[in-house]
Amino acid sequence: MSAKKIGFETVKTGDNRNGMRFGPLVVALALLALLPAADGAAQTIQVTPLAREDRVLVSFKLTDAFTEEVRAAIHSGMTVTFVYDVQLRRSATLWVDRTIGEATVTASVKYDNLTRRYLVTRAQDGRTERAENLDEEETARAWLTEFEKLPLFRSSALEPNAEYYLRVRAHTTPRNAAFVWPWGSDIAGLAKFTFLR
Amino acid sequence: MPAREWPNVGARHAPMSSITDTSRSRLPAPRDPAPLRAERRPFRDNPRLVLLGIVLLIVALVAMLRLADSSAELNPDFLSEVLLYALSAADLTMLVALLFVLARNVVKLIVERRRGLPFSRFRAKLVLAMLGLTIIPSVLVLLVGADLIRSSTQRWFSQPVDQVLRSAMQIAADYYREREGAVASHADRIARTLPADAVEAGRLEPVQKLIAGEVAQGRVGLVEVYRIASSDVRTVEPFVAAQSADLPRGHLRATADRMAATVLAGSGDTEAHEPLDGGGELVRAGALILDPQTRRPVGVVVASDHLSGDFRQITDAYQRYTQLRVLRLPLQGVYLSVFLMMTLMILVSATWTGLYLAKRITRPVQRLAAGAREIGAGHLDYRIEPETRDEFGSLVEAFNTMAGELAASQQTLERSRADLERKNLELDERRRYIETVLERIATGVISLTPEGRVQTINNAALKLLELDRAVIGRPIDDVLQREDLRPLEVLLRPSRSSGAGTVPGGHEIALAREGRELYLAAAASPLQREDGRPEGAVLVFDDVTPLIRTQRVAAWRDVARRLAHEIKNPLTPIQLCAERLRRHFGAAPPAARDLVDECTTTIVGEVESLKALVDEFAQFARMPAPRAVPSDVNGVLDATLALYNGLFRDIRIERRFAEGLPAVRLDVEQIRRVVINLLDNAIEALGGSGAPARPDGSPPTIVLSTALDTVNGVARIVVADNGPGIPPGDRDKLFMPYYSTKRRGSGLGLAIVRRIVAEHGGSIEVTDNSPTGTVFTIEVPV
Repeated sequence: MSAKKIGFETVKTGDNRNGMRFGPLVVALALLALLPAADGAAQTIQVTPLAREDRVLVSFKLTDAFTEEVRAAIHSGMTVTFVYDVQLRRSATLWVDRTIGEATVTASVKYDNLTRRYLVTRAQDGRTERAENLDEEETARAWLTEFEKLPLFRSSALEPNAEYYLRVRAHTTPRNAAFVWPWGSDIAGLAKFTFLR
Repeated sequence: MPAREWPNVGARHAPMSSITDTSRSRLPAPRDPAPLRAERRPFRDNPRLVLLGIVLLIVALVAMLRLADSSAELNPDFLSEVLLYALSAADLTMLVALLFVLARNVVKLIVERRRGLPFSRFRAKLVLAMLGLTIIPSVLVLLVGADLIRSSTQRWFSQPVDQVLRSAMQIAADYYREREGAVASHADRIARTLPADAVEAGRLEPVQKLIAGEVAQGRVGLVEVYRIASSDVRTVEPFVAAQSADLPRGHLRATADRMAATVLAGSGDTEAHEPLDGGGELVRAGALILDPQTRRPVGVVVASDHLSGDFRQITDAYQRYTQLRVLRLPLQGVYLSVFLMMTLMILVSATWTGLYLAKRITRPVQRLAAGAREIGAGHLDYRIEPETRDEFGSLVEAFNTMAGELAASQQTLERSRADLERKNLELDERRRYIETVLERIATGVISLTPEGRVQTINNAALKLLELDRAVIGRPIDDVLQREDLRPLEVLLRPSRSSGAGTVPGGHEIALAREGRELYLAAAASPLQREDGRPEGAVLVFDDVTPLIRTQRVAAWRDVARRLAHEIKNPLTPIQLCAERLRRHFGAAPPAARDLVDECTTTIVGEVESLKALVDEFAQFARMPAPRAVPSDVNGVLDATLALYNGLFRDIRIERRFAEGLPAVRLDVEQIRRVVINLLDNAIEALGGSGAPARPDGSPPTIVLSTALDTVNGVARIVVADNGPGIPPGDRDKLFMPYYSTKRRGSGLGLAIVRRIVAEHGGSIEVTDNSPTGTVFTIEVPV
């Protein structure tokens, strides 16, 4: 399970009086600084699979997702979406792993600074599942980052006693992409399980 | 023959030959004229396409400026997920294109310099200067511009503005929250105040009166009462409503219906707000109307109040501000990307233009240089297509005109060269022919320079005078200083007195050659040029020795015939007279008779000898032509040697006949006579019967051998003895008539031998035997 950071960087406003004096150096450093910075906070995705009846129930939790950057983005009133790409895959020894099923779970939040409410929405594969108006930030965070027993895949396609794994990749939009190299990397989590029938 | 030997012929043409050769080396085969093809003009040479490219570039720059200008208004997702990616990709592509253009041209410049192409250094300097003038300012502008963008975006977010907006937002939110609470409070209060039975019973008046009072007092702007539907207790239906006249229009009743249903359903979410078309929004709150006794819901009150749009504007302003701050990096990235792209586009364009201009400047010069090289290599059909009508175009036209004139001159020169070559070949053929004739003829020819040096000498002269080719270049006076050639000086004497080289006319000159005499008919001819100046002389020699010999033989034959006729006639009467004397004195006294017998016997004997001598002379004079038939040489010799069997026991006669000799056309009798003559001479030289052993102890020996010389096509008959040999001074006279070393010889034997051999088409030579003796070698054609 990898541990990386997603979300927005901290935006700092400050004194720029020395900016022109060291112009080229500052610009070069700025170009580097505009690259996605590696934050100390380690974000992880905890994935828990559960085969129940004819479904594979997927639970996952994105930890430390509400960084200051994400909170700032949410409280700026823009719609921030957490996108989770969930893949059910089977390992292959001599070839690339086989993908059994894929699903995209999104959770969006739009904060109204006037009403101080969080309008959160969950969707699966583009289909809106639920929408709520929440007053608490913590509730909104849980709503956006914690998912319990989502029936994303059918187990009928699985082979008994075979080993599979669930991989969840997460990122937020809009990205706090930077100049020069805007292509960021996602956070990924993985959980193996043996399908028993 | 080397040209040195006949320079008088070849030397005159040597300069011509050298010109011809030079012209051959300098003038390669003419190349087919390449027509000036109308090549497809590349993009860079098409003004319309270049103009179109510039327009597209400007349009792209303007579009990017507009895009950057409106980037703050773009959807954040589009901004960060699409636009920034696209711009970054475009930047990278542009950067790769720039690097490609630079690398390609740098590599080309390096290759051109390594190949040493003309103007490569100049072009490299020009390109480097243009690149420097383009890249350095562009990079500086990029650095400074990027810093300006960065600092400008940072200046968007100043602390005071941030605090003002935050405070305003705080106030607006607090007020909103307060209003929301107030409306909810009013809704609860109205719900409690309303008569539940009236609502349940559907009596409008008390309910309407109460809610109208609420509205009229300005506590809320709108009160809507719902009652439980009679058909389904889980649904509500509108019952009555009261609205303030100040409340803006445009609110939806459906919002109130949905809220009423939500409140009836027991949801805690009893507050809502509804944006209005005319600005502002409606803050709604719902409350259940309960039966006081049973606490059973009988209806729902939805109270609404209008909230000014200013609060939402404050909210929007704050949110735009904070969103701008949140999106500062992507926005900054967009600006920088656009700026970088513009810089790269300018760089690519400027670089390409610089390279193109460098090429435009150096290309005509390079083409002219290449054309000059082609012309220099002899490709006079080479032409340069004029690309422009400027000064370079005029220069190209002048070059093409010059090449055309050169081509015409070269054609004329080619024709002259071909004509000269043809004449030279003819002269060469003639020279070769004359050389061949001079080399093949038996007449010796020596040409002299005006200074009297040997210029050329042919083989016959070398052989006749026994000289070698080292005499070429030596003064003829020195050459003729040799003892045996001194008689030839007579040819040069007149020249010194007359100063005309030599005196024309023939001389018969005898030269001594190993005891023999060589008779030459020599003549000297002065040579003069057309202008009368002396050009040397030519000495001509002819070997007339055979002719002299033939003349002598003919004279001797005539003498022999006359001698035989004049001597033989009186011999018979003398012999008869002597015999009559002997018979007459047969009865005389013995003394007288003996004297007469002795004298008459002597007379008769001498007369017989004279008869034999005369017969031999007659035979020499009347020798018939040989009647040659194919004969076996060895057989003829065998038969001849059989005549000597047992006659000379002290002389060993050996046969060494070659096997496989082909038949040779011979007159057998005459050849037999030749061999007998030679054998008799050898036997006589060895001492005849009772010949003593040789001084070295070896027995007197005669070897008769035959051989076949297939190379020269002759059969050889060799008679060799180990006798005392013949002095060199006598060898030349051996074959002359009436020359004999024998006491009683007529001197005609070897003369007859040579005549027989000569009439068989052969030759006879006499040489010394080793260690002593003589060898006669006869060669007859096979």
